[in-house]
Amino acid sequence: MSFLELKDCSVTFGPPSNEVQVLKNLNLSVEKNEFVAVIGFSGAGKSTLISLLAGLQEPTTGQVLLNGKKMSGPGPDRGLMFQNYSLLPWLSVNENVQLAIKTVFPKLSKSEVAEKVDHYVKMVKLDHAGTKKPHELSGGMRQRASLARTLSLDPEVLLLDEPLSALDALTRSELQDQILNIWENDKRTVVMITNDVDEAVMMADRIAPLTMGPAATLADDFIVNMERPRDRRTLNNHPEFMRLKTDITLFMMGLNKESKAQAQSPIIPMPDIRPKDFALPTAAPRLRNKKVQPA
Amino acid sequence: MNEFGACRHGLLAALLVAAMNIFDKIKYPILKAIDVSGLTFLGPVVRLCYGEEPQVQMKKIGQWILVPILAMLLFAFFWAYGSTKVTTKSGSVPGPLATLEAGQAITQFGDYEAEKEEAYNLTGAEREEALENAEARLAEMPTIIAEANAGVDAAKAAHAAAIEKKTASLASELASLKDTYKNAKAERKAALQAASESLTPGDESAYASFLEKVKDHTARTDAEKEELSTLSKEIKDISDKPSDKVALALFAQTAAAEEKQFLTKQIDQLTTGNRASKVAIAEEKIDSASAKLLTLTGPAALKSAERIAKAESRLEKTKESIYAGPKTLGYQVKRSILCVFTGFLIGSLIAIPIGILCGLNSTFMAAMTPFIAIFKPVSPIVWLPISLIIASAYVPAPDDSPFMNWLWEDAWVLNHFDINPAFIASAITVALCSLWATLANTALGVASIDKDHLNVARVLKLGFWPRLFKIVIPSALPLIFAGLRISLGVGWMVLIAAELLASSEGIGKFVWDQFNNGASDSFAKLFVVVFVVGIIGLLLDRIMIVFQRLVSFEGSPTAI
Repeated sequence: MSFLELKDCSVTFGPPSNEVQVLKNLNLSVEKNEFVAVIGFSGAGKSTLISLLAGLQEPTTGQVLLNGKKMSGPGPDRGLMFQNYSLLPWLSVNENVQLAIKTVFPKLSKSEVAEKVDHYVKMVKLDHAGTKKPHELSGGMRQRASLARTLSLDPEVLLLDEPLSALDALTRSELQDQILNIWENDKRTVVMITNDVDEAVMMADRIAPLTMGPAATLADDFIVNMERPRDRRTLNNHPEFMRLKTDITLFMMGLNKESKAQAQSPIIPMPDIRPKDFALPTAAPRLRNKKVQPA
Repeated sequence: MNEFGACRHGLLAALLVAAMNIFDKIKYPILKAIDVSGLTFLGPVVRLCYGEEPQVQMKKIGQWILVPILAMLLFAFFWAYGSTKVTTKSGSVPGPLATLEAGQAITQFGDYEAEKEEAYNLTGAEREEALENAEARLAEMPTIIAEANAGVDAAKAAHAAAIEKKTASLASELASLKDTYKNAKAERKAALQAASESLTPGDESAYASFLEKVKDHTARTDAEKEELSTLSKEIKDISDKPSDKVALALFAQTAAAEEKQFLTKQIDQLTTGNRASKVAIAEEKIDSASAKLLTLTGPAALKSAERIAKAESRLEKTKESIYAGPKTLGYQVKRSILCVFTGFLIGSLIAIPIGILCGLNSTFMAAMTPFIAIFKPVSPIVWLPISLIIASAYVPAPDDSPFMNWLWEDAWVLNHFDINPAFIASAITVALCSLWATLANTALGVASIDKDHLNVARVLKLGFWPRLFKIVIPSALPLIFAGLRISLGVGWMVLIAAELLASSEGIGKFVWDQFNNGASDSFAKLFVVVFVVGIIGLLLDRIMIVFQRLVSFEGSPTAI
């Protein structure tokens, strides 16, 4: 039995007369300690999918199961790392992490809380900026702070909603390594949303492509059969990496074409109408057509 | 150079380096503090002190410091000019100088009252020393007053002489013209009388020419009269023109008279009116009465004993009594500030919780909307009588209630301000008029919380109270404080009117007293109040801006 499961989930928004179906008949099952990446175009409904897993969004039809039990509402057992950091701007990095720890582990003593805060802030290498407010940090540092907060919940499932898409390429690869490092040291179930094929192949055990919206659904998985730890330096020479990358890219591009073809509406020819001239007849028609002399 | 000298030089250099370091380090904290307090015009001055782009800073100083000063001077000039053109029943509108003088008179009055209060409380050697000083000064007063009177007489005489000189030629011209015109009129009249006698009835042309002549005579007489009156008005204008020197002499005379009066009263407070001497006299009386009591029996003893008991209880009161003088503007300003903060506190305690509920729950918001819509536009003039009636019914006199007694006698600071129904009514009026801005802003702030922050609360499974205090209120604080700032401004404006109507001791009462008081400088004192109220309002606003910036986050400065 799988650990985290989506069963025939559909999500529709809007009033019954004008419904938009965002996700349709989604099926996904994630094993314990598996790293799954969901890849899709922007606007396909990736964030809705992660909201379903986090419990922030109820499926219109279908079920979300955790450990075989129906999930009700969000909770700290599914640590969600938000796409736009969602750090509380009036608290420092330490205080943001502390708030999470104090809420989830209310029985800890003050010193234990402080120790835990220290541990997680160090884990993401932010100990030099612990007292800074989010607006004083760079994007990468904010995302690391957000990661520290999510990890500090000690969740069974880590849900990463495009965690790195707002970062520049260098910061991005550094953070990828950090996340992988943490995951390998302390295995747990991860579902990561991304729009970057390289990132997905580099990090995940399995990649589930999300088709184009509206009514997006998950296509067949790609299994990543590559040994860990994966070395970024030799990755580009790895035949499996190149194969997967090409396959997935082609598949995704095919999806794009398909959806464009679907989206094309039949052309309705417009009637050929010329605008009527309502100008008053001029007294001297000759002047109207007089050519402008070059000066 | 010996070793000690070298050492000292090294120390000096080290100190200098340390001072330069501190100087460099405090630059940005200073600039940040200036920014937080909203005194941005000081920024260029600080930057100039650090030698940062002098030209740019000079330009900014010119724009933000010199131009406003110029504008103020220009305003003072137009004010001084315009005020002479408007005359009212209470004299002409006071110009900047008259207003300044009125301000000085107000502070002088405050100083005198403070000294009198001090005199009332003095005891022993200090009292005697003060008494000696006051009496010495009082002894000097007759000469000073005589000098001032002589000065006024001299100034008046000089002014009269100057007018005489200026108008002499005009006056002689007037006299001669009067004579000429009088004679000319008499001559014309005589000629017309002669002509009237030589008329033959029926001669139409003769009558017509006669009538013409008479008309001509009347017209001429009118023209001559007009000319004379213009001339005499010219003379009057010159002699009516007030003299600055006379005004100054009169000012000195008034000041001297006031000082004399003050000294007499101060001496009174140091002698018979002094608390210690009052107590001493009363104690002496009680002692002698007690001694006498020992010799009495029967009804006389009872009567005497009763008298002693009464005298003793009066003595207790005298010992605790404080100086009861007229209220100074300083006191009234303090009471007004206390009142506005009382009302502001009441208003905020109502507005913030209701605003939070409105922001959290749209159903509650729907329930509150009609009340907000109907009560918000109600004028303070309507709230005041209502709250005055209610406050009078529920705020007891200090004699009837232990709490009010405590408030009047022992409460820290508050015991100086006689919290009465008028004060409470003014504060409630301030609260009722000012709470709307806070309410609306709080509701907006709570309703517009970032959805992601609420999702964080959901993922953490925060309960209602933690969510309220850890997420909702911190994120709404900048807007709540923006609302509080508007509320305090509105409250301050409302308060003066409320105090005036409730005749609650405060700036409003001062305004009303000056309006009803016919003294020569009452009008100018009202102008002083304009500036006092404006400057205090400005300070209150600044304080709220600092608070608002301190609770703001992201981008805006958060702390010094």
